[in-house]
Amino acid sequence: MTAVPVRSGISAVGLVVPLAGLAVLVGLAGTTHRFLSLDNARAILASTAFVGITAIGATLVMIAGSGVSLATSQTATVTAMFFLSTQQYGLVTAVTVAVLTGVALTALQGAVIGYWHANPIVLTIAAGFAIGGATTWFSGGTPVNPEVREFDVLNSTVLGLPVAVYVLLGVTVLAHLTLHRTTAGRQMYLVGSNRTAARAAGLPVGRVTVIAWAFFGACIALTGVFLASFNTSATVTLGGTLTLDAIAAVLVGGTAITGGRGSALQTLGGAVLIAVISDVLLLRGYSTGVQILVKGILVLAAVVAVHLRATRGRR
Amino acid sequence: MHRLGLIAGALGLTLLATGCGSNAGTTGNASSADGSSSMKGKTIALVGYGSSNPWGAYFNKVFTEQLTSTGVKINDMTTMDPGTQVQKFNQALAQKPDLIVLAILDTQAMVAPIKKAKAAGVPVLAVDGPTDPSVAADVMSVLSDNEVLGEYAAQNIIEGLKAQGRETGNIIVLTGTKSMLVTQDRMKGFNKVMATAPQYRVVDEQDANWDPQLSGTIAQQLLAKHGRDGVQAAYGMADYMALPIIQAAKQAGFPIGKDGLVVTSSNCFKAGIDAVKAGELYGTATEDPGTIAKQSADYTVRFLTGKKPPQSETVKEERVTAANVDQFAEQCSHA
Repeated sequence: MTAVPVRSGISAVGLVVPLAGLAVLVGLAGTTHRFLSLDNARAILASTAFVGITAIGATLVMIAGSGVSLATSQTATVTAMFFLSTQQYGLVTAVTVAVLTGVALTALQGAVIGYWHANPIVLTIAAGFAIGGATTWFSGGTPVNPEVREFDVLNSTVLGLPVAVYVLLGVTVLAHLTLHRTTAGRQMYLVGSNRTAARAAGLPVGRVTVIAWAFFGACIALTGVFLASFNTSATVTLGGTLTLDAIAAVLVGGTAITGGRGSALQTLGGAVLIAVISDVLLLRGYSTGVQILVKGILVLAAVVAVHLRATRGRR
Repeated sequence: MHRLGLIAGALGLTLLATGCGSNAGTTGNASSADGSSSMKGKTIALVGYGSSNPWGAYFNKVFTEQLTSTGVKINDMTTMDPGTQVQKFNQALAQKPDLIVLAILDTQAMVAPIKKAKAAGVPVLAVDGPTDPSVAADVMSVLSDNEVLGEYAAQNIIEGLKAQGRETGNIIVLTGTKSMLVTQDRMKGFNKVMATAPQYRVVDEQDANWDPQLSGTIAQQLLAKHGRDGVQAAYGMADYMALPIIQAAKQAGFPIGKDGLVVTSSNCFKAGIDAVKAGELYGTATEDPGTIAKQSADYTVRFLTGKKPPQSETVKEERVTAANVDQFAEQCSHA
């Protein structure tokens, strides 16, 4: 297997703009009351965890050239419901059921995309409606309220940080190793760079795509597990804005939406950056609406920057 | 099996008819309003909250069940998307039903459709949340008492802080969508009662958009912002917003309950009732979908049978704390 091509050639402007942005952020953060406190650092990491875990999984899918999934929130919701519904069988069983559900639902979509070349956007819109509709149908819109609370341990903290933060770090390391130390991971970059060429070269495009989506499904399920534990019950709308939040974190991290470029560590950085900016705005008294607006601008800037880098690289 | 179901249904209807014959209250089946025969052939368009929302799901279920025996036809046009709701309302209008039952998602967006309904002579019954004041006279309504729900939340906080012997205290508030009148009315009631206890101060109020995940994130950040000594109480506008506050506080090392952070909500769900029983949620309030669905169904029967109910009715809300939680546990456990 060949090594992953390293792309360089970042222009001065390409470096100056993000660095200037970072300097502004550091300046704002440093002069924001209570930003530089241990409690606030913990809060930022804690608020990064749920979206971050899903975003790490979404990174593999995007690198492998499958774009984005628009069925993420619905999948997280259904795994959360399975997790809470199986509490009476013990925590390990409940987590296993949730993860298997997430992997099965998502890998199936990956198979249709990888083997039958379905458009990921169209397919995942359909999957989102199907999963969301089926969840509403079977649950009748009623929340899942477990009698047994095995999940309480997942809300605990270790060294002041929620368990979910450690899982985020673990998932990031696992994704990084998968992408850079395994054949399937390296093939994800190649498939994402040029699917047609990868197929012509005899790479197992279908299998690689399924592996990326299966990993993503496991990550969504873990987010569902933590969301369910945090909220102590699960409604059909539990997934909330997870779909777009995860995509935003991946894009802000600099992963190319067209595939072939990016990393799990960058996505972790993107998720933390969004959380830091939201935190600074909140501490400075800006409303939720302003936070969402700034997140949108940030995503747009990241996409433009990645596009410009890619365009320059081709010249 | 099918025949058995029919027999059971007929028996049930007979029992309901006889059992509720002398009961003019709102807790029985809506057919008790003596309107079954004259409602056959009439049509209702239910442009309500979608069943993906637990509150909406139970409201729709109870409302439909209450009216099934009357013979009225109910067209399900429910949704949780404000834009789709406007479209569905317009579709309902084109069908010329005898009544449109409307649970509003976007107050402003529904102004023009309501005016159109008035011009077309199709009556509209708004349930749960109020319409924009400019069209309030154009609809009938069965409304939750949101101002009182906000008052109850403030009472819970004041009572909880006083019970801890605190002479001062800081409060954070996570609201529902601020542009909604429901949210504004709750804050109006909340602020009115909080003004009677100026020693307790709201230090932060954030729009959490009725979103549990967002509520958790904002709570984590606000608790870090103010620190353990800087927040003594929190108000999450619904149970599913208050519970993430509790989890965020626990993870940030805040004590909860009797000697810790006083957390309250203002409309009940089963998970909230469990938290009140566990001593983690100081209190909540009813606004349960079952009660308002029954009253809305009863109002519908009275209207469609020509009994001319008052233009607007308000559902009686109840405050729920550890002292009376058992009394409301069943009522609050359907969503």
